[in-house]
Amino acid sequence: MMLRYVVNRLLLMIPTMIAISIIVFVIIQLPPGNYLESYIAELQAQGESVDPQKIAFLREYYGLDKPLLQQYLHWVGGMLRGDFGYSFEFNLPVTKVIGDRMLLTIIVSGVTILFTWAVAFPIGIYSATHLYSWGDYGLSLLGFLGIAIPNFMLALVMMYLANVYFGTSIGGLMGPEFIGKPWSWAKTQSVLEHAWIPVIVIGTHSTAGMIRRLRANLLDELQKQYVVTARAKGLSPRKVLFKYPLRMALNFFISEIGSILPHIISGTEITAVVLSLPTAGPMLLNALKSQDMYLAGSFLMFLALMIVVGVLVSDLALVALDPRIRLQGGVAR
Amino acid sequence: MMRRVTRSLFTMTVALLLAGAAGAEEPPMLEPEIAAGKLPPLVQRLPRTPLVVDVKRPNWTPGRYGGDMRMLMGKDRDIRMMVVYGYSRLVGYDEQLRIVPDILERIDNEGSRVFTLHLREGHKWSDGQPFTSADFRYYWDDVVNNKELSPFGMPQALLVRNKGPRFEVLNETTVRYSWDEPNPQFLAVLAGPSPIYIYRPAHYLRRFHPRYVGQEKANAQASAAGSRTWAGLHQKKDEQYRNDNPDLPTLEPWINTTPLPSTRFVLVRNPYFHRVDTAGRQLPYIDRVIVNISEDKLIPAKAGAGEVDLQARYLRFDNYTFLKQNEKRNRYRVLLWEKALGSQMALYPNLNVDDPAWRTLMRDVRFRRALSLAIDRHEINEVVYFGLGVESSNTVLKRSSLFRPEFREAWSKLDLKAANTLLDGLGLTKRDAKGLRLLPDGRPMEVVVDTSGESTEETDVLELVRESWRKIGIALFARPSQREVFRKRVYSGKAMMSVWTGLDNGIPTPEMSPRELAPTLQEQLQWPMWGQYYENNRTGGQAPDMPDALELVRLFDAWRQSADDAEREQIWLRMLAIHAEQVYTIGIVTRALQPVVVSNALRNVPAEGIYSWDPGAYFGFYHTDTFWFDSKGRP
Repeated sequence: MMLRYVVNRLLLMIPTMIAISIIVFVIIQLPPGNYLESYIAELQAQGESVDPQKIAFLREYYGLDKPLLQQYLHWVGGMLRGDFGYSFEFNLPVTKVIGDRMLLTIIVSGVTILFTWAVAFPIGIYSATHLYSWGDYGLSLLGFLGIAIPNFMLALVMMYLANVYFGTSIGGLMGPEFIGKPWSWAKTQSVLEHAWIPVIVIGTHSTAGMIRRLRANLLDELQKQYVVTARAKGLSPRKVLFKYPLRMALNFFISEIGSILPHIISGTEITAVVLSLPTAGPMLLNALKSQDMYLAGSFLMFLALMIVVGVLVSDLALVALDPRIRLQGGVAR
Repeated sequence: MMRRVTRSLFTMTVALLLAGAAGAEEPPMLEPEIAAGKLPPLVQRLPRTPLVVDVKRPNWTPGRYGGDMRMLMGKDRDIRMMVVYGYSRLVGYDEQLRIVPDILERIDNEGSRVFTLHLREGHKWSDGQPFTSADFRYYWDDVVNNKELSPFGMPQALLVRNKGPRFEVLNETTVRYSWDEPNPQFLAVLAGPSPIYIYRPAHYLRRFHPRYVGQEKANAQASAAGSRTWAGLHQKKDEQYRNDNPDLPTLEPWINTTPLPSTRFVLVRNPYFHRVDTAGRQLPYIDRVIVNISEDKLIPAKAGAGEVDLQARYLRFDNYTFLKQNEKRNRYRVLLWEKALGSQMALYPNLNVDDPAWRTLMRDVRFRRALSLAIDRHEINEVVYFGLGVESSNTVLKRSSLFRPEFREAWSKLDLKAANTLLDGLGLTKRDAKGLRLLPDGRPMEVVVDTSGESTEETDVLELVRESWRKIGIALFARPSQREVFRKRVYSGKAMMSVWTGLDNGIPTPEMSPRELAPTLQEQLQWPMWGQYYENNRTGGQAPDMPDALELVRLFDAWRQSADDAEREQIWLRMLAIHAEQVYTIGIVTRALQPVVVSNALRNVPAEGIYSWDPGAYFGFYHTDTFWFDSKGRP
């Protein structure tokens, strides 16, 4: 039963991805012009001249003079073979452009998620169990502030304060001496030293959100009959809390995993831009702006794949963790 | 011309220098390598006659070695700006806008037809390999005349009536280009910020060329590197201007050591650079240039936070007060340099607009004059530019020898009465209930001005223009869009008027090409279709049918045929006069200012300067290689 379900879901991913690839390609092509035209326009805006011979060479070399359908097939065909196309902007294959950035992105996002969980869980549980106490009010206020302040705003304020009071720049993810160098223990240390500010900035919003959701879900459960019964039977408060209500309240958290995966890659563009983090977000943004179509397209396809896989994983995890959810539900009807 | 080129100021002191060169101090940064025997001593690294840089500018002093100069750029690709700032060219402009030899020791110019280029004996690429006429031959035989590398033929600037030059190698240090007819733009193109590189590092590039390694190996290398053809790989490796290949030998003062993509680029001094100061010290003074990549909108903030030593790109005039405020705390100074634009902002009536009624009007000089007369430039200058601008039509700047006050003043003084009279004379006397004049077909006169939507400055100025045009019975509406859309609308004739900056080169000399003044390019917003016609060799677009425009085309052709300075000057003046009288573009305010942030420790940056792409290469012709740090780097 389980196996068939998984296979079905996997097969369903194929048409989904095809549809997404078409949509992605069309959307990238929607703005007028192509990469070369926006490139020319950008140069001219700075007063630079452009050599028409060179542009003609590039147009032919990049295949921008071909019909759209052909460009699309070329792109999709390449992806099936593991060739994600060529970034015009960097004059490099897309995989080479993305390489190191992906790793850094995953580090920053991974640490951020851990940070979010580490902070949100105790606070959420505390708020729910100490309902309407001063602690609950105080933490809720902080939570609301966290939700209300946009990340990039927080980043700007922190940058300003750091500059004015400490005279340091908080942008970047590592000491300048490590940029472009191979990974080493010293470099990892430097990344960790620099990572905490982006982690806090990026994590505040989702931490606050998670506190609110955990609190609400837990409150629902705590009012149920079985909790009252458990208490009446004299179970210790700690066991009452952790044995069932908390596990029940975690469903939302598991279904969120599906959206966390793409978030790891791209959830933080604007903040990353503000903090000039060498992560994937700013690169995606720039690729879209300059119509670097294969780079942008491959990025978007990767995000789509992350979502599709993430949703599958969270569905499976829910089945495994919550015995109330059954697979045959839809089939048997 | 020839006299100027051959007898440059710089070469005169060469003999003087040679005596002292042997004992000149080495850059400390290179000493370990020299001691280890990896680098030859200074005398052997320099050409036999290096270029001695002695800038005649108040407060300019010879400096000392060392330091890292930090800059910010908005994109990885901006690393090419270091080629512009470095400004090492075969010939280059000096601060007086004369073309003088730089990489070349001298150049003989016979009637702008035959150019003989003399290289410096012993000049070396940044990897220590000799730079000789073989590098010119490689470009000629294996790049520009190779069907796969140059499928679209030679660069325009090498063509005179669609014919390229004859190329001869006279000896190891001498090459000659000769045309049958004059090619006056040749030197200006070599001196440009983005020049035509007629020489390539042959010893490096050969390894990608089938002629030297065989077709099979060239193709194999290309597919291993992810390129579809060998030509693609060769092209990618051979980008002296893009500056994105750390392996490519260069003649620039600093060598890029960081491949794309990166957020931090490190450029190190070229140990074989061909310029020295008057004390025989090898330039550049500054050891390394660090270019950090940041979001372009954050660059003013970061510059204000003292994160740069030299910055102008991405700083705008409206950042000035903010930058000035942080001057003391972050130990830098903000200079205001003059941009070389003919007009900070100009209106372009589209003579190729679709709408026939409007087209007739736009093509009528009386209408264009009336529009120009009805702009209150003084008010705009005071309100938007703090009175720092100069009210002017779109013409050359006062610095240029071609400047004439009458060009600036032509039809650019507010005179509503004269404007109204002109419009009445056109038969546009009927008005609607709101007081707007009516077109002959009864529509109210509502001019829609397309903007690229990039700055509020445009909309502010247009708002003021709207008010004064209302007084001559014409309504103005701004239509902001996005840059590519904007261009498309103008090119296709959908836009009736647009707003953009004025002449790109406001400081021309008669030797520079007047192509901006004649219909030559589609990007000329006042006559995009005529421009397209000439850009595509008289196909596509539309042929101009107005006598004055045809006269401009004829004059431009005459300039291209001319080998005589006085004649060229006459042609320039004639063209400028036609522009002033015909008001093809309506300039508003000129002398726009560019803030430049300079660290207090950085010396030899002129307090007043021109910030210009061509001629000038931005910082380039102020010799960035002679900028130096006082007191061992930054405070």
